Amino acid sequence: MQKEMAYSFPDEVLKHVFSFIQSDKDRNAVSLVCKSWYEIERWCRRKVFIGNCYAVSPRMVIRRFPEVRSIELKGKPHFADFNLVPDGWGGYVLQWIAEMAGAYPWLGEIRLKRMVVTDESLELIAKSFKNFKVLVLFSCEGFSTDGLAAIAASCKNLRELDLRESEVDDLSGHWLAQFPETCTSLVSLNISCLGSDEVSFSALERLVDRCPNLRSLQLNRAVTLDKIANILRRAPQLVDFGTGNYAAELQPDVFSNLAGAFSSCKELKSLSGFWDVVPAYLPALYSICPRLTSLNLSYATIQSPDLIKLVSHCPRLQRLLVLDYVEDSGLEELASSCKDLQELRVFPSDPFGVEPNVSLTEQGLVAVSLGCPKLQSVLYFCRRMSNAALVTIAQNCPNLTRFRLCIIEPKTPDYLTLDPLDAGFGAIVEHCKDLRRLSLSGLLTDHVFEYIGTYGKKLEMLSVAFAGDSDLGLHHVLSGCESLRKLEIRDCPFGDKALLANAAKLETMRSLWMSSCAVSFGACKLLGQKMPKLNVEVIDETEPPDSRPESYPVDKLYIYKSVAGPRFDMPPFVWSMDEAVKILH
Amino acid sequence: MELQLGLALPPPPLIPIETFDLNSYGNYETREALGSNALSWPLLKLGPADNDINNIHHHSSSSSSSSSCSSGGGAGCKKRSFDEAPFFDEKRNVPKTLHLLLWTNQPNDEDDDPSNVLHENSSSAIFKNDGEGLVGWPPVKTWRKKVHHQIPNGGAENNRLPAVENGIGGRASKSTYVKVKMEGVPIARKIDLSVHHSFEGLTNTLMRMFGISDGNPKIFKLTYQDREGDWLLAEDVPWRTFICSLKCLKLIRSRG
Repeated sequence: MQKEMAYSFPDEVLKHVFSFIQSDKDRNAVSLVCKSWYEIERWCRRKVFIGNCYAVSPRMVIRRFPEVRSIELKGKPHFADFNLVPDGWGGYVLQWIAEMAGAYPWLGEIRLKRMVVTDESLELIAKSFKNFKVLVLFSCEGFSTDGLAAIAASCKNLRELDLRESEVDDLSGHWLAQFPETCTSLVSLNISCLGSDEVSFSALERLVDRCPNLRSLQLNRAVTLDKIANILRRAPQLVDFGTGNYAAELQPDVFSNLAGAFSSCKELKSLSGFWDVVPAYLPALYSICPRLTSLNLSYATIQSPDLIKLVSHCPRLQRLLVLDYVEDSGLEELASSCKDLQELRVFPSDPFGVEPNVSLTEQGLVAVSLGCPKLQSVLYFCRRMSNAALVTIAQNCPNLTRFRLCIIEPKTPDYLTLDPLDAGFGAIVEHCKDLRRLSLSGLLTDHVFEYIGTYGKKLEMLSVAFAGDSDLGLHHVLSGCESLRKLEIRDCPFGDKALLANAAKLETMRSLWMSSCAVSFGACKLLGQKMPKLNVEVIDETEPPDSRPESYPVDKLYIYKSVAGPRFDMPPFVWSMDEAVKILH
Repeated sequence: MELQLGLALPPPPLIPIETFDLNSYGNYETREALGSNALSWPLLKLGPADNDINNIHHHSSSSSSSSSCSSGGGAGCKKRSFDEAPFFDEKRNVPKTLHLLLWTNQPNDEDDDPSNVLHENSSSAIFKNDGEGLVGWPPVKTWRKKVHHQIPNGGAENNRLPAVENGIGGRASKSTYVKVKMEGVPIARKIDLSVHHSFEGLTNTLMRMFGISDGNPKIFKLTYQDREGDWLLAEDVPWRTFICSLKCLKLIRSRG
């Protein structure tokens, strides 16, 4: 009876039903129902997301999903953002492109994060995929404007080119001119990462002119304030705009031109850029401020009074990125003006200064938590914190999904009581039941990890630095956090015991990073031997780990689940603990 | 109530790898089950010394905690947690982390005495010579670090800073790192120029990075590509000129 039901729908009907299922999780669930559903699903999956490019090989992906149109790949571990992953570690996309060039002629979208992309890769993309539409290179490196020129020239229907936060070698400013006159399809262009002389402004203007669907445009720092008006008048349909330089001598005609250009953009909801801001030009934005939902002022070195004035004009603000020049007073104003705020990121203006240079403390964050009930996502750099403040924040904002606190000096205790901040972070995980991402800082003992293991049931990503007393801490997290996918740890006294006792847990996670901890080489080897589904990689730039006693701690350790086996592109300073791979290069 | 880990206590000096039977460890255990699963391994209980540490950190009695942490604030507490963590008392190789907390080696020390080299590049080195203390801390992306160099004035005198505020000409302004290639080595490396102030220091770091022994330093010459794309010998120009005009570096074997 059940067998008949499974076959009672023709494949075409099932295919049609499956086409409404977009999320990977759901698609994976569908494919597990029965063999025929697995087969049908795999032939009609169009989008693949691979959170770790080494977890699976291109060939395996192609074999299972033969008709993919969109792929997203992530390469280096997150700590690569802070220079903890040495150059040459890996994350090369070329092999993926090469294999997909043959297998997916209709591939239209490639999104990469923290990968090494060479000009050769870009040229291969340009010539292999006739229907190429979307290229997003988020925090990537390894390519130059030559590669971009190839993309611009060949991709006739390019819709999105987004280079956010990537490192690009400037060789020539004329790559933008490579977009043919016939290219009118651009919807999104983000070149904010490019250095000074890399963009031909006249080519940019002409491009903007002929792309009526352009919704999102982020300029780079080289574009001066006087040019903004020209661009905006050519693209009044913009929804998301990133200025270049926002500095010029105050001139009434420039100001009114700019203000007029902004006011003509009736759809504009999101602003960014604002390098080198001259506050006198901020009022040019006032006409669009009531509509703004997102404001990224994290490069704007303007002081609190100017920030307060601007923010008080933006009652619909949902997302604010700002430097700590905003100070507690600015955040108090934010709390009273912007009741829809969902995301706040406060970056340090002087991260390496020993003394505070601005009056930004835990009070600012407490004020926002009190005034903005919809707050979900916080990234906050400050120099002092208290358990009481954290408890207040936790109670005010039970809907937090992301909470990343960075107290700049490692191991700073509660400034009021000098206690560790265990209780404060404990309150965060206890009250915020949907918390998915957490970054810890300050003085913390094993107790905080006990709280996290007990309450952090939905926690997917945890970042730990200079915390804990013993393996017990790590054990609490690995044994308690059921949803944990990514764990990154630096400078903590965690050794072999917790890791080995929870080895099986690692197979349920995407990855684990541990650097400057106390995991021995012997334990790494054991993990590599006993856990074939894990790639255990030891990173050491000074000497091979087996030139020292086995009990010696390794410098850096990166463990990730993989069905592809050990990788072939490891540089000399990365050692695989897989038994099949020779330890000595 | 302290959690009891069902793990074998390693006899000094090495962890007895044979007694870890990971195969018998299926899915990760809940906290409650762990105590009862202690059959395979002897229990590891936190001893009295550890309870003292836990008391100091856990209890809210401010007197005990303030006595432990009041001197020097963070620095005092750092020392305590590493020195007294139980596993570091065992008779095995004491990891370098212990000693490095007391290490006050200056970040820009370019002394190439081998033992210093070992310390600086030691696997657990917390302080590396990036001129700013801890590597990767605070966790701010490289290109955000440079914001604080700008004049925090909103006034008219806030000049548009040249993209090369860090003094390294011709590069995207966000990084003081330049690419270094060595002849014959396929993978390029990156080096942070802001921590070097002389050719000697730079060369020493490069030698270490590429693993060239100090015995014969003359076999390699340092060349650089300037903003115009020409390749020049580094030692032919003064340091300041070099720094301002270089785009990338290459070590080549000198002939003769």
